[in-house]
Amino acid sequence: MRMFRNVFRRKMRAFLTIFGITIGVFALVVMGSMAEKINLLIDGGTRYYSDKVVVTDGSAGTAGFTMTPIGVGRVAEVESVPGVARATAGIWMLLDENGGMSMGVPQGIVGNDMRAIDLESFKLTMKEGRDLTTADRGVAVVGCDIAKALNAKVGGTIDLRGKPFKVVGIYEKTLTAPDNTVAVSLYDAQQLMYAQLPDIIQKQIDPNQLATSITAYPQPGVDADQLAATIEGTLPNVTASGPQVFVDQFKSMTKIFNSIIFGVALISLLVGGLSVVNTMTMSVLERTREIGIRKAIGASHRQIVGQFLGESAFIGFLGGATGLLLGYVVSIVANMLMESSGTVLFLTTPRLAIGAVAFAIVLGVASGFYPSFHAARLKPVLALRYE
Amino acid sequence: MAPGTSDTGAAGGQGAGAPSDSRTRHTRLIIETEEGTKTMKTIVSVKSLNKRYELGKDNYVDALRGATVNIGSGEMVAIMGPSGCGKSTMLHMMGCLDTPDSGEIWLNGRRVDDLSTRATTKLLREEIGFIFQGFNLVSTMTALDNVALAAQYAGKSRRESQTMAREALEAVGLAERAAHRPSELSGGQQQRVAIARALVNKPAVIMGDEPTGNLDTASSAEVIDMMREINLLTGTTFILVTHDPDVAAACDRVIHMRDGVVTDDTSRLVAAAARDAERDLERVA
Ligand SMILES: Nc1ncnc2c1ncn2[C@@H]1O[C@H](COP(=O)(O)OP(=O)(O)O)[C@@H](O)[C@H]1O
Ligand SMILES: [Mg+2]
Repeated sequence: MRMFRNVFRRKMRAFLTIFGITIGVFALVVMGSMAEKINLLIDGGTRYYSDKVVVTDGSAGTAGFTMTPIGVGRVAEVESVPGVARATAGIWMLLDENGGMSMGVPQGIVGNDMRAIDLESFKLTMKEGRDLTTADRGVAVVGCDIAKALNAKVGGTIDLRGKPFKVVGIYEKTLTAPDNTVAVSLYDAQQLMYAQLPDIIQKQIDPNQLATSITAYPQPGVDADQLAATIEGTLPNVTASGPQVFVDQFKSMTKIFNSIIFGVALISLLVGGLSVVNTMTMSVLERTREIGIRKAIGASHRQIVGQFLGESAFIGFLGGATGLLLGYVVSIVANMLMESSGTVLFLTTPRLAIGAVAFAIVLGVASGFYPSFHAARLKPVLALRYE
Repeated sequence: MAPGTSDTGAAGGQGAGAPSDSRTRHTRLIIETEEGTKTMKTIVSVKSLNKRYELGKDNYVDALRGATVNIGSGEMVAIMGPSGCGKSTMLHMMGCLDTPDSGEIWLNGRRVDDLSTRATTKLLREEIGFIFQGFNLVSTMTALDNVALAAQYAGKSRRESQTMAREALEAVGLAERAAHRPSELSGGQQQRVAIARALVNKPAVIMGDEPTGNLDTASSAEVIDMMREINLLTGTTFILVTHDPDVAAACDRVIHMRDGVVTDDTSRLVAAAARDAERDLERVA
């Protein structure tokens, strides 16, 4: 309370200083919430790919989702490679054929032959309804974010690339890719994909052979990265991507976001910090007499430093708390506004919240150091003569 | 008349075989007054203090030029003299707020003119209380908190400090104003809060720099009475720099300064029982 009164002696100045920190922490929280969301996506992706090898058509050249089909027939081929426990064919395609812009994970349709569902370590649980079976036709299970975008309800119907699908289940939130994915049986996915192909290609292809990738599950004790190399070495015309490929890919994404946060933190450090230094220096100057009195009645160096550091930490805390609140509200509102499109862009995690406020307090303390020591070093007699 | 203070080397700790330490020395002070001779323990002893303030190149002020004075335990003395003669400078040095260029300051038998910051802080907490012309209360704190602050700095717990502060405010008759902030108090009341603050750690000496300088006559009288009462009841030594003849009149002794030296001190004995009658007596010139 006393601290409050000391800080707010000069109301306008105190508000401006706190506001400076608020802005910095606000930016930090908003950017941080975005980065936390992305980090979670990446984390989920890394976990998903950690124990498997994704085999794609060799001509595509890149890892991950490619539109150049690989034949379902090659599943047996992949399984014949030593070290592969089982392989499974799958299709992944964009929900919207025109692509469409989206932040984070693109919305997609996935179909899988489910041959290795028991080997999959990344388990999806049902929020509502039931999971798919291989025998399902015209039936979809929807991720929880995309469900909002498509307005999908269990028992309702959604439209996938012009075809109606009955929704039988919704997956529990994973905070990563499946939240933005519609799952159908491999057969349905193949039919959807086939329908999109140009006539000439359609004539050459058996829809039942369509797959965009084959996922190989290593036998126990077999390193997935090594297995990827073995597969590429053994089979002609395939690209096999082990966990490391994804880790590397994700790492560069994380790096960008982390440097953005770092940049924001640095700017707020400068702006907020300098304004705290300024405020506290002014405050020390204005209160020279008070400091003299305190020393004359027995305040030690430490007690004076403690008092002023306490005040600047308090300023930091107030700025940090309001910045956090503001950032949190904005993130929530933005998420709500974008809910209809299925995009969840911000995630204010507890560690981010605590980190942001702690950062502001540390900033306050660090900026208070010089003024506080200056205050403590004042000779009481000079301070008392000061008018 | 004979002014007078003189030192004797006598007193405790100076007998045969007692440890001799150049930093501690207990002396007695003999004050000759018209009523007779009074002997007391020396509480503050200032010897040949010099202080020069450099204002610029070849430009300086000699605020003190060998000021020497002794003050006895339990005395209430006034220091008077023209403006700029070095009264505040000397008072600040007696109270360890400032250090002389040369000379000695003894407080309660100990040499204090060259103490470390830490030792000075300890002294300010335990043995010295200050009162200022401008009251110098912390404006954001209540009367009680202002007084408690001094106790807290002295290491008392918050709770204990509050209790001590309440007692001190009671002693100056302001218990019911404890929750008020300085801006809500009259000048006289603020100065009494300042006295309570100076008093709270039960110091040996309370030093005041123009304690009535900002007060009207009525408030001055109130504050002077208060200090005199505390002095007589508790034996706390008061050293008051002042221009106010009423303050001087209430004191046992008046020390005069001019141009950085003590020129004259007039001693007078005041019997505790005869306090009120005594104030009405003619002050000895
Ligand atoms: N910090 C200082 N810097 C320069 N000169 C000072 C300072 N403090 C006091 N003085 C000078 O020293 C002299 C004595 O001052 P002071 O002790 O305050 O006098 P008094 O209290 O008797 O009016 C004055 O001439 C004053 O201007
Ligand atoms: Mg003065």
